[in-house]
Amino acid sequence: MSLLQTENLSYIYGEGTPFCVTALDKVNIEIEKGEIVAVIGHTGSGKSTLMQQLNGLLKPTSGRVLIDGEDIRSSKAKTLETRFRVGLCFQYPEYQLFENTVYEDIAFGPKNMGLTEAEVDKRVRDAAKYVGIPEVAFKTHPFDLSGGEKRRVAIAGVISMEPEVLILDEPTSGLDPKGREQILSLIKNYRDRTGKTVVIVSHSMNDVAKIASKVIVMYNSKVLMTGTVDEVFEQSEKLTEIGLSVPQITEVFAKLHAKGYPVSEKVYTVEQAYLEIKRVLTGGEANA
Amino acid sequence: MLKDITIGQYFPLNSVIHRLDPRIKLLYTFVFIITIVLTNNFVSLALCIAVALAVTFISKVPLKTVVKGLKPILFVIIITSLLQIIYVKTGVPLISFWKIRITSGGLLEAVFLTFRISFLIVMSTMLTYTTSPTSMTNGLDRTFAPLTKLGIDFNIVTMIMTIALRFIPTLIDEVDKIISAQKSRGANFESGNIFKRAKMLIPLFVPLLFNATRRAYELAYAMTCRCYNGGKGKTTMNTLKFKKGDWAALLLTVAFVAGVIFLNIKFGEYNAQFTFNLAV
Repeated sequence: MSLLQTENLSYIYGEGTPFCVTALDKVNIEIEKGEIVAVIGHTGSGKSTLMQQLNGLLKPTSGRVLIDGEDIRSSKAKTLETRFRVGLCFQYPEYQLFENTVYEDIAFGPKNMGLTEAEVDKRVRDAAKYVGIPEVAFKTHPFDLSGGEKRRVAIAGVISMEPEVLILDEPTSGLDPKGREQILSLIKNYRDRTGKTVVIVSHSMNDVAKIASKVIVMYNSKVLMTGTVDEVFEQSEKLTEIGLSVPQITEVFAKLHAKGYPVSEKVYTVEQAYLEIKRVLTGGEANA
Repeated sequence: MLKDITIGQYFPLNSVIHRLDPRIKLLYTFVFIITIVLTNNFVSLALCIAVALAVTFISKVPLKTVVKGLKPILFVIIITSLLQIIYVKTGVPLISFWKIRITSGGLLEAVFLTFRISFLIVMSTMLTYTTSPTSMTNGLDRTFAPLTKLGIDFNIVTMIMTIALRFIPTLIDEVDKIISAQKSRGANFESGNIFKRAKMLIPLFVPLLFNATRRAYELAYAMTCRCYNGGKGKTTMNTLKFKKGDWAALLLTVAFVAGVIFLNIKFGEYNAQFTFNLAV
């Protein structure tokens, strides 16, 4: 049984008005414990809607969302419980900060869970550590921080709830390279240290290749492909067709391969590229 | 809940009403509002209602949507009706208990007001439903163009109004997003006593105000970058011209006002006793 699963999940925005849009069309996905799942797709392909379904913010038009095999809408209590177990961090989360201090803002979620003060305090400190916010910054007003710092505080606000599944909707969008790097490494760190599941929506194939253990490709409100990084990026033609791409380094290696160099095409990150070039230069055996 | 707020929304359809000159739509909406306020009996009110329904029907905007637009003002309607029922003492007394005496006059007055307010709102929402923001600005600009000669720069006023209308849906979306985000952090907007609920407005309004201010600055910069200077001497790409349909609408508007005035005089201020007898 999967930790989180959807069954023929469909959702239509503004049903019965001229603005009605089908955002999800019979979507079936499975998310296992401990995975880092990347959801990729074009703008408007239904990724964000799917994420809001996973923690019960939106009500499916038809179909179900199951957590541990149980419908998250079976009761009101179950829906609320799901919101704490599946933490969703929206796109541009820094625009939802509101408290007077960084500490208070990170503590908002845990306080809503009804935890004791000591437990809240522990969680805030833990979450801040994960995202690299030093304790001296706790008393700062969140609006005084830089964009990247605000983003990390906002992510900490979700992490502090210690959700079993952490969903991040385009966590690196609008950040500079350093900010992106920080966010990605904190996500990976969080997964490695807690063993919790992470779902990340992304437009950056480079980011996806770097951290994902499973990739879901959405296209026109449907799931087009599901598989490991290898399985998905192998089909570069299909991806290009729907307006997506493969990581830059993969393109480089595809071209090298086409030119007759004895390198593998299955290179998705710079680290892999380094190992592959080293292998070719030292005359090692092909391993792919 | 928030999706019910339809004020300022545009409903892109292709109908005779949608194609009318925005100036004529502004005019007849304005005239209608004044006229419905001046109705003094059920017969002329019925004419107003018939006209509002006719406009709705011709515009092809679904009746369901129009009715939905009334939801946010339901509270206002209920309160005014209650006040009428309690304070108007004309007509036949029907029920009396404690210090409250309900009379037929009060009931009728309540019904009258309910219809009056509802259709006033229906007609005003019809204006924005059938007029795109661009054409609305054009219409307002042209209608008030003569004021420019008096040294009043009405361009700025229309720009402010248009921007305000244009931002209603944006801000509603924003509120929705913030609510979703705070709900994801376990905020509970739906239950708890009034104090708890009031407290829950902080996580909603602080980001909303902050973002609205940010947006306002961004928009101002964007407008400045595109050389907006108050619109003095601005020309338009599509100059508005009255067409046959617009003249017809103008005639109908005049006929409508004449009709209401006639009915107002003919039936006079309604006599509660008289209408009550008719009803029974």
